[in-house]
Amino acid sequence: MQYFHSIMLNAGVYAPLLGAVVIVALWTYMGARSVRGIAMAAASVSLLSALSLWADYFLELSAGGKGVAVFSDYMGFLPAFGLNGISMPMYALAGIVGFAATYWAVISKMENPRLYFTLLLFMQGGLMGAFAATNVLWMYMFHEFALVPTFIAMTIWGGAGKRIAAIQMAIYLTLGALVSLAGIIALYMQTDAASFEFGAIVQAMAAAPLDASWQGWIFALLLFGLGTLVSLFPFYSWAPRGYAAAPTSFAMLHAGVLKKFGLYVLIQVAVPLLPVGAIEWGWTLAVLALFNVIYIGLVTMAQRDLKLMVSYSSVAHMGLCFLGIASMSVIGAGGAVVLMFGHGLSVALLFLLSNVITNRTEQWDMLQMGGLYKQTPVLAAMFVMAIMASIGLPGFANFWGELSVLVSLWNFSPAICALGATGIIISAVYGLRAVARIFMGEPSEWISKRFGAIADISVKERIPAIILIAALMFVGFCPKSVTKGLDADMKDIPAYSESK
Amino acid sequence: MEWELSSILFAPLFAAAVIGIFFRKSRWTGAFLSVSSAAFAFAMTMWLLLEASVPQFQSSFELFKLGSFQLDFGYLFDPVGKNMMFIVAFIGFLVHVFSVGYMKDDDAKGRYFAGLSFFMFSMTGLVLSSNLFMMFVFWELVGFSSYALIGHYASTEAAREASKKAFIVNRVGDFGFLLGIIFCWNALGTTNFVEIAQIMKADPSAASTGMGLLILCGFLGKSAQFPLQVWLADAMVGPTPVSALIHAATMVAAGVFMMVRLTSIGFVTPEVLDVVFVLGALMAFCAGLWALGQNDIKKILAYSTLAHLGLMGAACSLGYELAMFHLTMHAFFKAALFLVAGSAILACHHEQDIYKMGGLFKKMPITGVTALFATLSIMAVPSFSGYYSKEGIMLSAYGRALSGGAFDAFVLLLLLGASALTPLYMGRLFFNVFMGRPHSEAAQHARESSLWITLPLLVLAVYSFVGGFSMAYDFKWLGGKMDFLMPSAATQFVSEIWDIHYLGLRKLDGAHAFETALVLVTVVVFGFAYIVYGGSRGCDILQKKLPPVYGALRKHGWFDVAYNWYVAKVQQRFAILLATFVDLMLIELLSVRGVGVVCAVIGQGFKKMHDATSNSQVKWLVGGVVLLFVLIYF
Repeated sequence: MQYFHSIMLNAGVYAPLLGAVVIVALWTYMGARSVRGIAMAAASVSLLSALSLWADYFLELSAGGKGVAVFSDYMGFLPAFGLNGISMPMYALAGIVGFAATYWAVISKMENPRLYFTLLLFMQGGLMGAFAATNVLWMYMFHEFALVPTFIAMTIWGGAGKRIAAIQMAIYLTLGALVSLAGIIALYMQTDAASFEFGAIVQAMAAAPLDASWQGWIFALLLFGLGTLVSLFPFYSWAPRGYAAAPTSFAMLHAGVLKKFGLYVLIQVAVPLLPVGAIEWGWTLAVLALFNVIYIGLVTMAQRDLKLMVSYSSVAHMGLCFLGIASMSVIGAGGAVVLMFGHGLSVALLFLLSNVITNRTEQWDMLQMGGLYKQTPVLAAMFVMAIMASIGLPGFANFWGELSVLVSLWNFSPAICALGATGIIISAVYGLRAVARIFMGEPSEWISKRFGAIADISVKERIPAIILIAALMFVGFCPKSVTKGLDADMKDIPAYSESK
Repeated sequence: MEWELSSILFAPLFAAAVIGIFFRKSRWTGAFLSVSSAAFAFAMTMWLLLEASVPQFQSSFELFKLGSFQLDFGYLFDPVGKNMMFIVAFIGFLVHVFSVGYMKDDDAKGRYFAGLSFFMFSMTGLVLSSNLFMMFVFWELVGFSSYALIGHYASTEAAREASKKAFIVNRVGDFGFLLGIIFCWNALGTTNFVEIAQIMKADPSAASTGMGLLILCGFLGKSAQFPLQVWLADAMVGPTPVSALIHAATMVAAGVFMMVRLTSIGFVTPEVLDVVFVLGALMAFCAGLWALGQNDIKKILAYSTLAHLGLMGAACSLGYELAMFHLTMHAFFKAALFLVAGSAILACHHEQDIYKMGGLFKKMPITGVTALFATLSIMAVPSFSGYYSKEGIMLSAYGRALSGGAFDAFVLLLLLGASALTPLYMGRLFFNVFMGRPHSEAAQHARESSLWITLPLLVLAVYSFVGGFSMAYDFKWLGGKMDFLMPSAATQFVSEIWDIHYLGLRKLDGAHAFETALVLVTVVVFGFAYIVYGGSRGCDILQKKLPPVYGALRKHGWFDVAYNWYVAKVQQRFAILLATFVDLMLIELLSVRGVGVVCAVIGQGFKKMHDATSNSQVKWLVGGVVLLFVLIYF
């Protein structure tokens, strides 16, 4: 079984990278159809890897096994991969959203498909690797692999305002990544660890604990570096315009999966290793995160552009994830992971459906739409589901995440809990407003001219949406599939289990 | 018993999913599936109520666990749950049948019946939940189904706004409710009703007012009480059967059900109950007044629902069994009234103005008789079902005022006002819709509705008449042979306490005189209503003679005006200000681009300095030498 796991894990990471290499190597022989075939095959391998490992992992845990089911560095020179309760959902998320995003790219038309799919596959491989790596430096490297294609794709296939958005995004994210790299290096140097391997750092820290002031400094570097990657207030302004300008598949992958990397490293590495630093910065983090929830939430309410609305809402939702981390408890951090999983799926779904909608309306402004449900009942139902998932309706994964985070916050501070909970009202306001503006009421003047020509979402377009909805509802109905591993692994991390 | 309860819960969900996926466009298959699932749930519920001898069943299944936070999906099927379950399954089934007739010409029947079945699932879940978190889950789901069904006629502006408003206002209530639940979990370590009951029994001081007040917010939102009542009247744009089921009989009563459940286990402190007492009474009185300012038959009934929910809220504080009793009776007669309204609206080709109807009693005898029975019941005429529950509430309030202070007397006055207003607005409705002559072409040609519609009406008419008697005294018709009409398992929760409570009330000073006076007032006001509103004028006399008064009533306390002003002028403007000034100007342009500009300027400056002319090279050389000297000697 061990053998099977490591093959699956490596296949999940390397299949997309290999696919990209194949496309580049056979560049001149590649037609639009063959690149699509390669991309689809690679994404399927990743999806299969993610789902099979997830299923196995859950079954093993349910049978009373010890969680750390997957581990592989048998090749010696390849980076070590492994999955625990925290990275498993993220890895699964990358597989699922990656498949949906690739599928969406495969069925859409674009110029220069070879380059497009090369970049997309690189990104996909980077994402799978970032969550599978157990070596902190490799986590970072894989993240960069995934990050760079976004900028390139934006400048080539992006929408309005792409140049400035791409430059801004590149500067912000490179800077954020650099600061967090400084943090990672400082961690390695100060602990005198044998390698960047996570286990090695833990061992070194057990032998010689880091003093409080260093913990504070390193945590600050990681928090603000990674925070920028996750659009923590006030380092968020790259996100909305960046996503709005990015091509859909990249926006899905970036907002859905890559953005979660910062949170993931905070939960997986920073807080467990630097609990003192995390406590020191807890309140700062909580207050900044509240700005994400409330301030960005209000800004989202004022958006008229559908894609900007979705982008801002994704920034706003990151606030609750940060709050979960700030609570430093199994409930809060575990809830944050569930929310990351759910949000990754729901925001990818929203980007996808927004694209489907605007392809039909030729218009981004929600006030210029209206009454679409008559022409597009299935699209309307799917969009309502996506919005309901994202505003935390029970039955979708996000709800359990939001609920756990809020539950954990009461212990941190009832006031923060109450302020964080206003998010459920704010998100309902902008979410339902979007549904009402796009699908309900009378068609606007703009839309009524082309109303008859608007067709419902096609069967081809439905497939990625159905995959995302199915995943959302699966975890929504069976939250144990994610929380079981989280609970098992986080119990053993003193930073989470001791405080509360 | 677990799988029986699960089948009641999941059969409608299954029906909703199958309809939604496969029979969206079907003409009748969806309706058939939905109605059969409701029939199944009803039959199963009745079977459980009649056969199962377990007084209290509970089960639990771990849904997920993170650290110390474990959330169980569990059932609790106890007397109060049985009572509520009976109402949900019974009224739900009747409304499903009614819908077949009412929605026959609708072109989105699939969506409608899927929504109705989904509502049955959520409502059943809410009733059966064994802990507050689970209740919250279904609480949100009923909110969603209500949203979806209010928005059924989605292409109208009214439906668009009303559905949004209902959801958001409910979310405001849920915000407090959720905080209350989290508070409860942190303070007591559990949210399981049975465990809370044990804790409260051992130590009544464990109940806290803050916790109760937060949870009360959930009640205010769902049951549309002050100050969150604004969504209910707007919600009437949904199809009429939906208004009957969701916005009259069951979902809005879920708030009361939750309060009853928590009060009966000692969770709610007297301070919280005082707040509910006065808020409820205030609502009962104001909504009664506001009902006089509406001409739309459904809106009149909506305000009447508000009033009665207020009455139930106040009853929670007088004795929780009274609230549950009135909830049950209200479910019967208010569902009947809404279905009557639906039948009349359908007959008058979707005319909803009571002054455009008229003379329907002769044209629609079954609808008319049902309307009469339900009206007499809601006015609390003796021997009709509403009388039993309302009499108990009024007597209790009277008793409390006798021994209490000014506060209790004030509330009693409000309640007396409310009960005097009921015959007035109900008389106004009844005389204008059913008596006199028709005032529109459509009403002229009105015909009695089909069997799908009249059968549920007749059933509800019967229950509006006899329901109260059998519930109050746990009466066994024909020695228990007719128990299936109202299973004693469902009535036990009320009848057990009510008998004793009521006997005590009868011994109060002047109780008899008080009761008699109440009945007299009801009759007199009903007669007065005939004088004022009867006589088939075809217009509202108040509107004609005293337009300012009528206008004030119509505005229902200016709550909507205030909220709309807040949303449009404060909230949205503030959001736009943040989006444009702070987000765009301060952060995006000034800070981010500003840093960019500063970098560019500095870069330009450096570039200027490195222009590689001999002049600048000399400057660099001299500057470097000076710097070197400074570094060396200082």
